[in-house]
Amino acid sequence: MPAPAGDSASAPPLLEVRNLSVSFPMSRGLFGPKRVLQAVRGISFTVGRGRTLGLVGESGSGKTTAAMAAIRLVTPSDGQVLLEGRDLMALDERAMRAERRHLAVIFQDPYSSLNPRNRVGAIVREPLDLMGIGSPGERESRVRELFRLVGLRPDQMALFPHQFSGGQRQRIAIARALATNPALIVCDEPVSALDVAIQAQILNLLRRLQDDLGLSYLFISHDLGVVQHVCHEVAVMYLGQVVEMAERRRLFSAPAHPYTRALLESAPSLDRRKSAGYRRKAAVKGDPPSPLAIPSGCAFAGRCPQAQPRCRTEEPEPTARDGHLVRCHFPVG
Amino acid sequence: MSPLLDVRDLRVEFATRHGTVTALDGVSLRLEPGETLGVVGESGCGKSITALAIMGLIPMPPGRIAGGSIRLDGEELIGAPERRLRQLRGRDIGMIFQEPMTSLNPVFRVGDQIAEAILLHQDVSRDEARRRALDLLRTVGVPDPGQRIDAYPHELSGGLRQRVMIAIAISCQPRLLIADEPTTALDVTVQAQIFDLIRDIQDRLGVAVILITHDMGAIAEMADRVAVMYAGRVVEEGPADAILDSPAHPYTRGLIGCIPAIDPALAALDRLPPLAEIPGVVPPLHLLGQGCAFADRCIEAVDICRKVAPPLTGRGHAVACHLHAAAAASEES
Ligand SMILES: Nc1ncnc2c1ncn2[C@@H]1O[C@H](COP(=O)(O)OP(=O)(O)OP(=O)(O)O)[C@@H](O)[C@H]1O
Ligand SMILES: Nc1ncnc2c1ncn2[C@@H]1O[C@H](COP(=O)(O)OP(=O)(O)OP(=O)(O)O)[C@@H](O)[C@H]1O
Ligand code: SF4
Ligand SMILES: [Mg+2]
Ligand SMILES: [Mg+2]
Repeated sequence: MPAPAGDSASAPPLLEVRNLSVSFPMSRGLFGPKRVLQAVRGISFTVGRGRTLGLVGESGSGKTTAAMAAIRLVTPSDGQVLLEGRDLMALDERAMRAERRHLAVIFQDPYSSLNPRNRVGAIVREPLDLMGIGSPGERESRVRELFRLVGLRPDQMALFPHQFSGGQRQRIAIARALATNPALIVCDEPVSALDVAIQAQILNLLRRLQDDLGLSYLFISHDLGVVQHVCHEVAVMYLGQVVEMAERRRLFSAPAHPYTRALLESAPSLDRRKSAGYRRKAAVKGDPPSPLAIPSGCAFAGRCPQAQPRCRTEEPEPTARDGHLVRCHFPVG
Repeated sequence: MSPLLDVRDLRVEFATRHGTVTALDGVSLRLEPGETLGVVGESGCGKSITALAIMGLIPMPPGRIAGGSIRLDGEELIGAPERRLRQLRGRDIGMIFQEPMTSLNPVFRVGDQIAEAILLHQDVSRDEARRRALDLLRTVGVPDPGQRIDAYPHELSGGLRQRVMIAIAISCQPRLLIADEPTTALDVTVQAQIFDLIRDIQDRLGVAVILITHDMGAIAEMADRVAVMYAGRVVEEGPADAILDSPAHPYTRGLIGCIPAIDPALAALDRLPPLAEIPGVVPPLHLLGQGCAFADRCIEAVDICRKVAPPLTGRGHAVACHLHAAAAASEES
């Protein structure tokens, strides 16, 4: 990865993930064979200060698991996570709790991520309460400030989540995530459940907050258009691996992995018109393989329009050129 | 040519705890044989209710068809006996919904469900129905149809389940296929496969399609004509190219403007401009006033917009907006 702007040459990046793997043991009945689901398989990435790294990929590719493991909300089976150089995996519970104030998460579903029985003011204040930050008076004024910051009115603090629209609830979730003044926010499909008009409001808000507060985002999305609009770097995941990673301009103008190219070809676009005879050809066939039975060779070989015999037997290693990482025997370009 | 489907001034009301609300307020749509009509608009604008009304499936109560007419090949469906509607559903009108899991019966094998749909409307033997079910699975591109015919829905991926739904929908060679967000729950690569399949079926069977979606990209590649809905009304209707290239209603313009499009021109930019926004949210039905339902969010709104609801005017490309009507009138004089 090129050194992200804003980082001096010597300072470690905000977040550095090395060779992270996560697997889940699966019970197969009483006497069945023990199986392991490999959700994340040895991924590495960095997130610079004030930068956004996008994680894209199809459902089940391991985006959420990777991000949650990177902030120790899921226990990795292997790998290292450094937050400003501090090894998160080496910390005991207490020390990890202290690090929590630098980390926050926004989830996809603004309906289920807010406790319906709490007033939204209390929901936003909760991280401050839990971590014992500030006096009660200071917390209250911080919550007011946060409401304004995300485009809500402080007089709405006494209402309950159901009294808000989906977009407003996502604003509440953002205010809550900002409460402890974190350095990194994991945004897990933060706009997928929203209508496009509301989605634009929230994406603009997230970008403005980044500019004003110097936030870093680990931004999960399956929508490449959204990713192009908010991310500085993009990592494409397939079956638990990063198959391509590059700076945004590079990834969108010169995608090298056949899977990334298929994703871009499959993405809907206003310019592809039926009237002009456009017919979206299914770029890849079939469904992704199961993470319970990872194929040998390249994980994408079964669906790849470019696969050669070698792809089915030999797993491609990631190779990097000018900060553009690709995991493919026959990259394009 | 007389239209295949002619919906005029359709009005649907629901009894709610806020009193009677008007979910559809004078909706008119026309569909020629073989044509695809795209229906777009934000959540709650009445897309699904329109589809349900056409199929005679509005829950009554709390719903009520308060006016208008729905003609299929000239035959009035409003007030038609339930027996007749049941005959039309599945035979003349096929349906595909967003989440195939809820429309497929989890305890029956998919082949039996397809055969059942055939037996319901056609006078064939059980063996013949099963043979046709197998053919249909092949037609909709289910791999290993001989095996998959005996699978239960949960044993199939989301994409395959949607293919099974499509097989059922086309089992009796309908003249009209209503697809309500058929790919929203699917990954883009699978989405592309399903759209490809729908186009293919259309070419082969000449079936007309109503495609309900919130995705303008899907509209561009699938639709001949488009109806844009807002708060229970059609606010703009016309050929897909006219709507996408020269949207006349401020709402349509806003909708198109706020899409984070994947645009090659953007791939080169160092920093992307913020997305255009439509301020505010869709008003709840019980708070709709006298004027244009969009007036509160419309940056172009003038006095009359808040007082009088604009009618849908214009032939070919119709628009419900006072400003547009004024501009069109001054152009004519
Ligand atoms: N707690 C868990 N136990 C067992 N398997 C899990 C668990 N969490 C995730 N998985 C599995 O790990 C794989 C990766 O899941 P993950 O949720 O990270 O994918 P994702 O890319 O976020 O997908 P989506 O786009 O659907 O959110 C999937 O096969 C999933 O079923
Ligand atoms: N059973 C019902 N009782 C009361 N109101 C209802 C009922 N069903 C639907 N409505 C209302 O009718 C309106 C139109 O709903 P509809 O489901 O058609 O929206 P939609 O455009 O399909 O939205 P989405 O994109 O979320 O699917 C909504 O405001 C909804 O609240
Ligand atoms: S390694 Fe082979 S199968 Fe895998 S993506 Fe590259 S060309 Fe396709
Ligand atoms: Mg996820
Ligand atoms: Mg709907």
